Amino acid sequence: MYKSLLAGLLALTLAGPAHPDGGVYDLSEEEGLYTPIADVPLHLASDTTQLSRLYARQPVMVALVFTRCTGICSPFLLRLAEDMRALDPREKFKVLVVSFDPRDTQADMDGYARLFQLGGDDRWLFATTPQIEALTSSVGFRPTWDSLSGQFDHEALLVGVNGNGYIIRKMAGIRERKDIASLIKTLTGEFIPSYPLPGEDRLLSCFTYDPVTGVRKPSYGLLILLVPAAITFILMLWMGLASRKWRLKKS
Amino acid sequence: MENRSLKKVTSVWIITILVLFLASITLGIIMRFNQGTQLHLKPNTFYATLTTHGVTMIGIWAAAGLVAINYLLSRYVKTSAGLSIFALVFTVIGVVMLWMSTFAGNFHAAWTFLYPLPLAPYAAWKAWATNLFLWSLVVFGVGWLVWSVGMMAQILRNYSITEIFAWQHLTGKEPEKKTPPFILISSVSLIGIILCLLAAVVLLVFFFMEMYTTGVKNDALLMKNLTYFFGHTLANEALYLGLAAVYELMPEVGGRKKFGTTWYVALGWNCTMVFVLTAFFHHMYMDFVQPGGFQIVGQLASYFASLPAAAVTAFSVATLVYRNRIKWSFTNLLFFIGIIGWLIGGVGAVIDSTISNNIILHNTLWVPAHFHTYNAMGNVLLCLGFFWWAAHDFSGTRDTFRSHWPTLTLLLIGGFGFVLMFYLGGASSVPRRYAVYPEGIANGAPLATAAAWFAVVYLVGMLMVFLTIIRRCTKAFSPAS
Ligand code: HEM
Repeated sequence: MYKSLLAGLLALTLAGPAHPDGGVYDLSEEEGLYTPIADVPLHLASDTTQLSRLYARQPVMVALVFTRCTGICSPFLLRLAEDMRALDPREKFKVLVVSFDPRDTQADMDGYARLFQLGGDDRWLFATTPQIEALTSSVGFRPTWDSLSGQFDHEALLVGVNGNGYIIRKMAGIRERKDIASLIKTLTGEFIPSYPLPGEDRLLSCFTYDPVTGVRKPSYGLLILLVPAAITFILMLWMGLASRKWRLKKS
Repeated sequence: MENRSLKKVTSVWIITILVLFLASITLGIIMRFNQGTQLHLKPNTFYATLTTHGVTMIGIWAAAGLVAINYLLSRYVKTSAGLSIFALVFTVIGVVMLWMSTFAGNFHAAWTFLYPLPLAPYAAWKAWATNLFLWSLVVFGVGWLVWSVGMMAQILRNYSITEIFAWQHLTGKEPEKKTPPFILISSVSLIGIILCLLAAVVLLVFFFMEMYTTGVKNDALLMKNLTYFFGHTLANEALYLGLAAVYELMPEVGGRKKFGTTWYVALGWNCTMVFVLTAFFHHMYMDFVQPGGFQIVGQLASYFASLPAAAVTAFSVATLVYRNRIKWSFTNLLFFIGIIGWLIGGVGAVIDSTISNNIILHNTLWVPAHFHTYNAMGNVLLCLGFFWWAAHDFSGTRDTFRSHWPTLTLLLIGGFGFVLMFYLGGASSVPRRYAVYPEGIANGAPLATAAAWFAVVYLVGMLMVFLTIIRRCTKAFSPAS
């Protein structure tokens, strides 16, 4: 199993950066935000429950995986477990790992939890559901079956669900720790600075922002703030000179 | 002849402003009773009332300052009654359009009408109401811009550019031609007014481009910068116009020598002119995409814009009244209390504009607390001092204090009590602009009720002032005057 983990990590490194938006999997981080997640029944290690009973108690972060995955699922969970330990020692929410593969049984999921040494950790819940279609479509997750490789072609997806069952954040791919931290802040109701990037049709924005480098530069919009001052200055100068001539003529 | 028509138009201005003031105070009282749950307005009606109250108040007290300096300028330069009439007509038309947009059209994006709210597709008002509201601002803007430029042109006929800024006084030596403080402060304020009205022009052009063309969207950050460049600067400059009247009239009414321009008065007002133009950046503290440098400029400019003017004015007024035999009349008392109100409100403003405090006080009732102090108990009293003086001047009656002490008592108790409730609310984090406070905000409603009753007391005082002024002002129309 560790071999497959390593293979997964290698594949990930070679594959380059994940596709945070859309990409080949047609997955959007914006689609379905602020809509309710499907309230499906969940089979957990110890009992059966409704998803709504979980989020009513604490916000939930939902991760969709399948145990036979030879690709992204294992590195995705490994990284998430590390990030959780580092970022949320006080355990203000639950991480619900749900299999989207109908072949996975509860025993498979329990084994998966043990593999990542998360079996005894109360924060982590590993579940299967008989209504996986309803769950995946409510979060806009569309894995496709590839019969050649015997694998699902899919993206890693984390979904933040608040106490009312609304999807408040989606994150695709294996993300940096700062992104996970921002997802946690969203879940725990902290302020997240976010600002719409100026679109193509935007008139004279104050700044330009390069999402790749993160560099922000002042733009022409800021110069507009000088226009009233410049007009006043010119007006005053003109009136001052004109009245000087007028005074000279008078004297 | 010119002087008579100036008196007449000034009288009409004074009466118009006071009528609108009494109406807007009533709107304020209605809002406070609603927040106190004695009244139950629909949320839309509350916000339409808030918008009407805010724009009308800011507008009329900026106009009041212009009326005062327009009248007093005639002592130094030729002033035009025609321009004043032009501005009056535009102001009245603008007010009718504004009130129609809010009360008939239900426009209620507050006095700051921050983009994109006025154009939002989900807004609970019709597009025509947005149009009418924005065009009402155009009408106000045109009237006041033409008037202000006209006054500035008249000043420049008698004083050169360097003289209006009193730069010849900066050396500390006695200059050949002196600049009276009234000319210095009026010029500094008029330039600020012209500048911020031009910022409004740019802002409105951007609004109209989005409204009347397709495919154009504005940058929200640029629009917010322009909105506060215009709104914050206008509210501040209005106050300085009132101060110009104080510098001109207070020693005269008190039977003392006129204030002179010294190097520190010149320096203080020059600093104010420059810094007040960038102080509006303190409205952008929560806009984290604005670079940190701008936020620091906002904080420093807020200090440097207010402190020099406040220091030199407080010093000048203190030297006038301290251990001096000054004739106290109702006019002078209004001026004196107005200066104190301005200083108290200014301290409240500086506290709020300090970034570390603003994190806590932002959008709490502390904000209306400080600006109501320097308006209702500051600029309003300064301008009212001028109105009172002018009404007595027009009618040739003696301005005494004796029979008017009940009026002053009502204004003091009502005014300071009213703003104190805002401060107490702000200090306990009661949010501003709530029609009704949620259950968790326990002291919001009782403070609002108390404030409403204090405001009723203030309103009664104002009504008494109004009745006296209107009786005197109508004398400007009698053939003998
Ligand atoms: C006693 C007289 C006054 C009363 C009763 C009154 C009442 C109020 C109330 C209740 C609010 C809403 C506060 C909130 O945010 O919850 C308000 C806002 C405001 N008032 Fe007054 N006010 C008075 C005088 C003035 C004066 C003299 C001025 C200006 C010269 C003024 C300008 C404003 C402005 C600009 C707003 C903000 C409007 C907005 O948020 O869009 N008010 N006032």
